[in-house]
Amino acid sequence: MSGSKMTQRHFRRRLVATTAAGALLAAGVLVGTASSANAATAVKGGTLYFITNAQQFDNVDPARVYTGRDIAFFNSYLYRNLVSYKPTAGAAGSSLVPDLATNTGVPSNSAKTWKFTLRPGVTWEDGSPVTCADVKYGVSRPFATDIITNGPQYLVDALAIPKNADGSSQYKGPYKKTGQALFDKAVTCKGTTVTFNLNRSFADFNYAMTYPAGAPVPASKDKGDKYDLRPYSNGPYKIATYKIGDEMHLVRNTKWSQKSDTVRTPYPDDIVVRFGMDENVRDQITLDDSIPNAVNLDGLQPANLRTFFADPKRASQRLNVFDPYTRYAAANVSAGHLDCLDVRKAIFFAWDTQALIDLAGGTVFYGTPGDNPIKTVLGLDYAPTTGNIHDPAYKIGGNPAKAKELLAAAKISCPATYARVTDPAQGFTYDTAKSATQQKASVLIQAAMDAAGIVVKFNFIPPGQYYSTIGDTTKQGDLSRAGWGADWANASTVIPPLFSYPSSNNYTQNSKDPAFPAFKAMSDAALAMTDRPKQAAQWKKLAQYAMDQYWILNPIFSKGQEEWGSKVGGVYFWEPQGTFGFGQLYVKG
Amino acid sequence: MLKYLIRRLAATALVITLVSMSVFVIFAYLPMDPARLTCGKACTPSIIEANRHRLGLDVPVQVQYGRFVKGLVAGRHYGEGVASFDCPAPAFGYSFNKHACVSTLIADAFPVTFSLAIGSFILWLLIGVSLGVVAAKRQGKWQDKASTAFVLVGISLPTFISGILILLLALKFNLIDPIEMGRWVSPFTDPIGWARNFIFPWITLALAFAATYTRFTRSNVLETSSEDYIRTARAKGLSEKVILRKHTLRAALAPIITIAGLDFAGLLGGAIITENIFNLPGLGRLSIRAVLVDYDLPVILTTTLLAAVFVVVMNLVVDILYAYIDPRVRVA
Amino acid sequence: MAQVEQVEQAEQVEDDVATFSIVQRTPRQIAWMRFKRNKVGVVSACVAGFFFLAAYLAPVITRILGLSNTLTYSTTLNNFAMPIGASGGMSLTHPLGVEPGAGRDLLSLLLYGSRISFSVAVITSVASIGLGMLIGITTGYFRGKVDAIVGRFSDFLLSFPSTFMIIALALPLTQRVEALKIAKGNGARIVVLVVFFVFFGWPGFARLIRSQAFSMRERDFVMAAQALGASSWRIITRELLPNLWPTAIVFLSISLPGYLAAEAVFSFLGVGVQAPASTFGLVLSDAVTYWRDDPAYLIIPSVYLIIIVLSLNLLGDAIRDALDPKAVKA
Repeated sequence: MSGSKMTQRHFRRRLVATTAAGALLAAGVLVGTASSANAATAVKGGTLYFITNAQQFDNVDPARVYTGRDIAFFNSYLYRNLVSYKPTAGAAGSSLVPDLATNTGVPSNSAKTWKFTLRPGVTWEDGSPVTCADVKYGVSRPFATDIITNGPQYLVDALAIPKNADGSSQYKGPYKKTGQALFDKAVTCKGTTVTFNLNRSFADFNYAMTYPAGAPVPASKDKGDKYDLRPYSNGPYKIATYKIGDEMHLVRNTKWSQKSDTVRTPYPDDIVVRFGMDENVRDQITLDDSIPNAVNLDGLQPANLRTFFADPKRASQRLNVFDPYTRYAAANVSAGHLDCLDVRKAIFFAWDTQALIDLAGGTVFYGTPGDNPIKTVLGLDYAPTTGNIHDPAYKIGGNPAKAKELLAAAKISCPATYARVTDPAQGFTYDTAKSATQQKASVLIQAAMDAAGIVVKFNFIPPGQYYSTIGDTTKQGDLSRAGWGADWANASTVIPPLFSYPSSNNYTQNSKDPAFPAFKAMSDAALAMTDRPKQAAQWKKLAQYAMDQYWILNPIFSKGQEEWGSKVGGVYFWEPQGTFGFGQLYVKG
Repeated sequence: MLKYLIRRLAATALVITLVSMSVFVIFAYLPMDPARLTCGKACTPSIIEANRHRLGLDVPVQVQYGRFVKGLVAGRHYGEGVASFDCPAPAFGYSFNKHACVSTLIADAFPVTFSLAIGSFILWLLIGVSLGVVAAKRQGKWQDKASTAFVLVGISLPTFISGILILLLALKFNLIDPIEMGRWVSPFTDPIGWARNFIFPWITLALAFAATYTRFTRSNVLETSSEDYIRTARAKGLSEKVILRKHTLRAALAPIITIAGLDFAGLLGGAIITENIFNLPGLGRLSIRAVLVDYDLPVILTTTLLAAVFVVVMNLVVDILYAYIDPRVRVA
Repeated sequence: MAQVEQVEQAEQVEDDVATFSIVQRTPRQIAWMRFKRNKVGVVSACVAGFFFLAAYLAPVITRILGLSNTLTYSTTLNNFAMPIGASGGMSLTHPLGVEPGAGRDLLSLLLYGSRISFSVAVITSVASIGLGMLIGITTGYFRGKVDAIVGRFSDFLLSFPSTFMIIALALPLTQRVEALKIAKGNGARIVVLVVFFVFFGWPGFARLIRSQAFSMRERDFVMAAQALGASSWRIITRELLPNLWPTAIVFLSISLPGYLAAEAVFSFLGVGVQAPASTFGLVLSDAVTYWRDDPAYLIIPSVYLIIIVLSLNLLGDAIRDALDPKAVKA
């Protein structure tokens, strides 16, 4: 799964299953999971290895991590949030538990004010106590948007601090201190109680606080950009060494006490992440079980998945589940791009989804065709849409005849776009992060488009600059590969960020689409709703709307696999984070 | 001789300056905007501007070059307030993707590349020269034919194919410790671990180079063997061994040293293919990853400059060495 | 039977004549004769020629075989996109098997891939030799200031780390070429690669030609022409050029396999031609991920490329032996 796993690392958000949806997951998906947490047999000690092809963690700084895997990893080992997800398998894993705080937050003033009280006895790695000031300082850091990049923007968006005309906050973070007084009013400390004043009702603000962006940081240890290398720990481990491209070594934080922590149960003495491993070597370690205390942090490449999952000896060393993500191609619908519905539909119907799924591991490992930007696990907000894959003319292997019909329609409805996508010298541009799997996928996409008489050109972008490139409206092509998972169990973390603003995660440029204003009005109204079932009905309508406009094409409800060595115990799938429950892993004696 | 040395030194310094300037200018006018690339996902024009300032790209290119040169001597200071930090001299810049001064990255990568280069250098010289001499001495015999076959295979087998095959075979037969593969182990603390890590890359590189050197040595030895002074030596009644060692090899090796020096210098900049295949964290992989993963401009600029400096400096060294080895040059 | 004997006899006679009338032959004829005697050279010329033709006739050949290099033969793959059948799905319809993942025909991929590689190698070699020839003769014949300036400049160029420059600049320059609407996609990438190869390739050859032109200037036949009042243009085209051709041909034969492999290396590293096109480098870097389940996919393209490079190298040796008697002696 290397290719898709690599891009998965770039998906920023994560998903929380509602209780209902979680049950669905547990029944339908987790059947293959033979191994689950069994704390009774867990043993302390030993070294746990994680092996990865990546050169480094995208980010380590609590205010900057944003991938489910990295959040789960660092939350389990290094830094603690006010609240946390319950570290357990199944649906229960999606419920909130107090972590640094003594409760999961107390809302007031119709959820415009949130209060958290800090647990006593929590200390930093030098033994000094974690204070309310540390929390306040940590929360201030995401406002330094020029240095603290990549992290979630919920705090910047929601805290009651006035905004400039361009939408940026008037507070510029703790380094420049511009507008510090505004921030000091929005976040206040009284003893061990921290109060957040918000600019709107935010009923699930405590879910937003599971992001480490709300974690405390001691001001005296902050080094700006460099903090990303050595964040200060208040968790059960601390960083002994972190050398990019080589390894990160975590050792026990002796100042951490089990008494102060109801969430973590640290077993191994040492945790080593080995970076920059050759993909073939990494896979060989997993396939041969040559390092039985190693966890494959990337997942196997598609070519190796089948071998590993077919081996009965490895039955207790693998997991194959639906991950939190929907993968899709975002259509750039601005003028001069795919501004023609018939052309978008033609591309959709010509698409050879079957071959692309097979390439990435088949329906067994890659996923199934989706009909919605919202994934099924968001039970309350998901409903099957009509049209798209439910259209009688839809064929999973592509329907070039239907595509040609639509093109003929486009010739009349939008001749300029039609001319462009059928001109061999022009065609439409497909943006994708460069990886082995994506290069292979381009072959399949080209073959499918050829069959329908559509011309496609590919823009392979270095993975490290993929999102910054397609996020640049002047550089985005016509169709851009992307993926998204809900931040928590509310489609308010799917529909608005993907479609309702020209935000950093909306790659459709749909604000230029005539169909946009109506959509936007409906979305804004839904966001303000407090009646959850009513709100859910709105999300369903909006999802249908987006699909009908073909703003995104060919979504895939994707799956993920995890593999680990025979001496790794305590593995379970932590649903809200879409990855391992790292904190319970142990090395068998 | 001293005058010659000084002149060559001055010329070398000039070339390095010119090369660094042109590389700097070329990169400054690329259509890549590092301020945009390091901006992250939630990017706004104001962040781009702030980034441009932070990266020092908001000033004309000659000022940037001046800062760069100054940084080499005096180090550089980045950012402001709590978020500020220094890169001590010689500062080549700061990589915001890796949160490290480029000089640190180079210092980490260089020992790897140097180990790779020096080991394969010794290996290929040993193989190449000895095979070449044997082939020349046994001209037309089976030894000569065997070495010709070796040369052809070596020359026709692209490094990236031989490297892959060697790697895959070594993996298949468990000759590589997978978790340690490609990690830097200092030869001073663990010489065996060091050699074990490098043995297959050494073989890969040496295979490619040894072939050229075998061919070159053979033709050079043959050529010098037919020179008058060798005939004179033979007429004097010197033994073949002495002639080979004292006369033939000496004259035949001089041009080989020139080429070997340049090849070695080329490798010091980073053996891109070999490092890439064997996952060695040297300069070559540092630069190719900087290009392919995130277009990390300060890193790319520095590795390119270093590679150029190695070539230019080695040119100088070779010229001087040449003067010592070849009597004719010394006389002239 | 009788007829065959006759033919053989005739050849015999011709050969005899050749040996006896050697003095009357032009250097070109002598070289050709020498080359013909080199069995390895003739065989490798045939092999290289075969692959060269196959590459250029790729569209014709694939059409005859009823194959395509863009079609994905999905029926040849199983549910995990791996080829069905032994040795990477070899069959009568797909003689070299199919590509895992997408299911294209491997033979077609290699034919089209070698087409790109050969094109880059030929264009680059010819262009850098042409440029080197022009500059080498000019500087060698006229000497003086031009020589000094060009000499310094080529020294300067040679001190650039060409591989690093290509890797670092390929991506942005491709964008630039696309922005200037010179070429798009892989066309732009090939343009960038060729321009780079030529830019860093000509100085070496120019140096060689310069030194030869330099010494030829002092030779009797040039002196004689000058004494007769021949123009510089006439001396260069009529006296120097014919004598420099052998060097150019030898250089061409040496640089061809080099550039061919270089193109493969750069696409292998990911800075050359990109998918959905196929070249040796792309196919091989892809094959590495499938080597466990489909080793044939790694071995066949490797062997294909090695045979081409090997035959070109052997051919180059034979040409050099034929054109340069000194090399034969050595």
